[in-house]
Amino acid sequence: MSTREMSTRNTRGLAYAGGVGYAMWQRSLLELARVKGGLLPTTIAPIIFLLGITGQFGDLSSLPGFPTDSYINWIIPLSCLQGAGFAGGATGANLARDIERGWFDRLLSSPAPRPLLLLGPVMAAVTRSLVPTTVILAVGLLLGPGLTGGIYGLVMLYLAAVAFSVVASFWGITLALRARTQQVGPAIQNGVFIAVFLSTAYTPLVLLQGWLGTFAEYNPVTYVLQMARQATVSGIEPSWANTWPGLLALAGMILLFGLLALRQLRRIDL
Amino acid sequence: MTDVVLEHRAVTQWRVTLALAGRALRIQLRRVQFLLPSFVLPLLLLVVIASGTSAAQELPGFPVQSSYVGFVVSGTIIQGALLVGLMAGIAVADEIEGGFFDRLLSAPINRASIVAGRVLGTMGIGVFQAVLFLLVALAFGADFTGGLPGALAVVALAAICAGAAAALGASIALKTGSLSLLQNLFPIVFVLLFTAPAFLPHDYLNPALQAISDYNPLTYVVEGMRGALFDSPGLGSVPLGFLSAAALLVAMFALAVWAMRARVKT
Amino acid sequence: MPDPAVPPRPESSAGQATGDAAVLVENLERTYKGGLKAVDGVNLIVEPGEIYGFLGPNGAGKSTTVRILTTLLRPTGGRALVAGYDVVRQAPEVRRNIGVALQEAALDPLMTGRELLQLQGALHGLRREEARERAAELLERVDLVEAGDRRLQTYSGGMTRRLDLAMALVHRPAVLFLDEPTTGLDPVSRNALWREVRSLNDDGTTVFLTTQYLEEAEQLADRVGIIDRGHIVAEGTPDELKRLVGNPALMVKLIDPAQHDEACRVLAPHGEVSDRSGGGLNVRTPLGARAIAPIVRSLDEARVEVDAVELEEVSLDDVFLAVTGHPAESDEDVRDAQP
Repeated sequence: MSTREMSTRNTRGLAYAGGVGYAMWQRSLLELARVKGGLLPTTIAPIIFLLGITGQFGDLSSLPGFPTDSYINWIIPLSCLQGAGFAGGATGANLARDIERGWFDRLLSSPAPRPLLLLGPVMAAVTRSLVPTTVILAVGLLLGPGLTGGIYGLVMLYLAAVAFSVVASFWGITLALRARTQQVGPAIQNGVFIAVFLSTAYTPLVLLQGWLGTFAEYNPVTYVLQMARQATVSGIEPSWANTWPGLLALAGMILLFGLLALRQLRRIDL
Repeated sequence: MTDVVLEHRAVTQWRVTLALAGRALRIQLRRVQFLLPSFVLPLLLLVVIASGTSAAQELPGFPVQSSYVGFVVSGTIIQGALLVGLMAGIAVADEIEGGFFDRLLSAPINRASIVAGRVLGTMGIGVFQAVLFLLVALAFGADFTGGLPGALAVVALAAICAGAAAALGASIALKTGSLSLLQNLFPIVFVLLFTAPAFLPHDYLNPALQAISDYNPLTYVVEGMRGALFDSPGLGSVPLGFLSAAALLVAMFALAVWAMRARVKT
Repeated sequence: MPDPAVPPRPESSAGQATGDAAVLVENLERTYKGGLKAVDGVNLIVEPGEIYGFLGPNGAGKSTTVRILTTLLRPTGGRALVAGYDVVRQAPEVRRNIGVALQEAALDPLMTGRELLQLQGALHGLRREEARERAAELLERVDLVEAGDRRLQTYSGGMTRRLDLAMALVHRPAVLFLDEPTTGLDPVSRNALWREVRSLNDDGTTVFLTTQYLEEAEQLADRVGIIDRGHIVAEGTPDELKRLVGNPALMVKLIDPAQHDEACRVLAPHGEVSDRSGGGLNVRTPLGARAIAPIVRSLDEARVEVDAVELEEVSLDDVFLAVTGHPAESDEDVRDAQP
């Protein structure tokens, strides 16, 4: 094959995008499989919070206003969301490492349309988030009264967790592209933590007072939690009314952070 | 002759320790973005828990408080102390990985001084942090009936805890030399915190945690802090708190010196 | 396949529309926030099939220029065409035609050589079967067949560079960019890489190479551009550049320092005589090595005893000094950079 011929390979179209996407996804899976204990931190921290917070504040659920008597069931969806969020954030941190190491330059100088390159971290987030979500759910169901929302609730929980990990991934990607150094990892994860925290994380909206109550009311994560809590909180019944605000919140956040990430990507060669 | 020499050596060692402490303090303050999490996170928890779970005060039998914030702030201070200790450990690991540590080792200074310097510097940060957190609690409406003496006792306890945490962090850093390991220890801080009556009184923890907390030295420190802040032995014994904290510091420091010797030998 | 004949080089380097040039750079500028001008008006043309050497010390602007040419950085002024396409406005077309091996061998330590090559294949639109074949082919070409299924973590420095080069070749690019390809390598690996680059060039690939070593430029490049502080200060074949230093110098090492003045007298008719720092004499003459025999004869006749008469190696430092009036770098840098 002559030089000319090879240089005009087909690098357009769906088949090409599919090929690139698949290759990047495979790479992210390799990363997962080959780093010893890679998923431990993102799974362990939420479990510690699950057990610790339940241990400390467990009695709260006896207060009027709580939609359930089981505090652990109240916290399970929160912990799942945290775990999924950290998993998503970690993909951003890994991108920062790739950028610092120069690997990302290799991808940038290839003919792949640049937005396609973000498929790597995002698909990794989706895949990774399943692990902490499942482990935390299993631990929680074992220790507590169990599922109250049936299949519908379960699906909503997973949907919320996975979609939230995508949000966290876009957030992490944005910071990574801006900072271009691995040291941005903690900042990414702190952001995820704070977003989840300033919501109905520990107490339902009716019991929240003051500025926190106002903040939580406007925090989209509150509604995502509501959607996820259909799985284990007896007082939050599986229904469309409890679902659509969460879906809207997730769609909005994915759009917002996705656009921010793309914008940051466009500025990478400035 | 020997007395003079020994005295001279002791003085020099002390001076060296102070110098290293000053350096540790300055460098940590310079890397504000790394120090921030150990300040922001506890404050956030304080604020959220105080607002979010202040409903806890309505639980039957909860000790009468003018403000839940005042109750929780002791847990917050401990959390902060543990986190700055972890940061100190990370700083030591960073120095080891970066090679600066070897330079310290090749200087004619006592090995223990190197550890002591780091511990002392972190205690300084602990003081600063405790004062800040108490002020925030005051701003949110806490009423410390123990007055200034109580507050000073709390600051002292915080400093000792921060020192102990730094010594532990340094031990791990010296033994493993791994920065990423220390970063992954972040959740362990919360394990230590949750197994103490950090946010609710001892009797409100679930039975499993209650049992564990009896063996956690931090339990007595937290309760001692509350006893001091509200001048109320019912909340906790101040002398016991000091005893516990001092014991931790001594134990962790010994651990660190041992880890240092082990590193130098290999 | 034989190359089409290389078209004759145009008279001036700037302003002429040579549509066939592999690389065309006009008044390229890159200014960072704060005013630092990393690239300050670079002009050059590289013909298809050439090996062009971009030579200069650290910080001269080599890597920045390469990053612009490989579409990783946007210029703040001027323009550049690679393989006929504009690096800013037609970036995707440029990327389709270039192979890139930058300074930090940009490879994922957790993946194996084969996996990386196949990934690169996918990025360049090769179907899975093709990518697999190409990976196998390249592993053989750069002599990494056995290591192909081991993770990058286990590779030595030389092996990493070879894989890096293979990655750049997956799609058989028309133009290959190599940023300091042999810095830090041992002599054996260095020679192996040089052989590979020459072989690629024989197959028709244009090579744009940056280096700190005059020797590397000499070994590989058809033409060399010397860059200092963001712009090109001299351009030409390696021989032309060396001659910029002035006439070649012959070093004469005396056995008996007392014979110094006598030696000067004897050597004077052969060329420009000067003292060397550290003892001995330099004689500059356009005859170069051909003057050795007559000089030895003259010294012998005058019974001046010499230890050696040899041709002095011209270093980048010398060229630099001659062209810019200041040394390329401090002594410490030179020592560290020495192969």
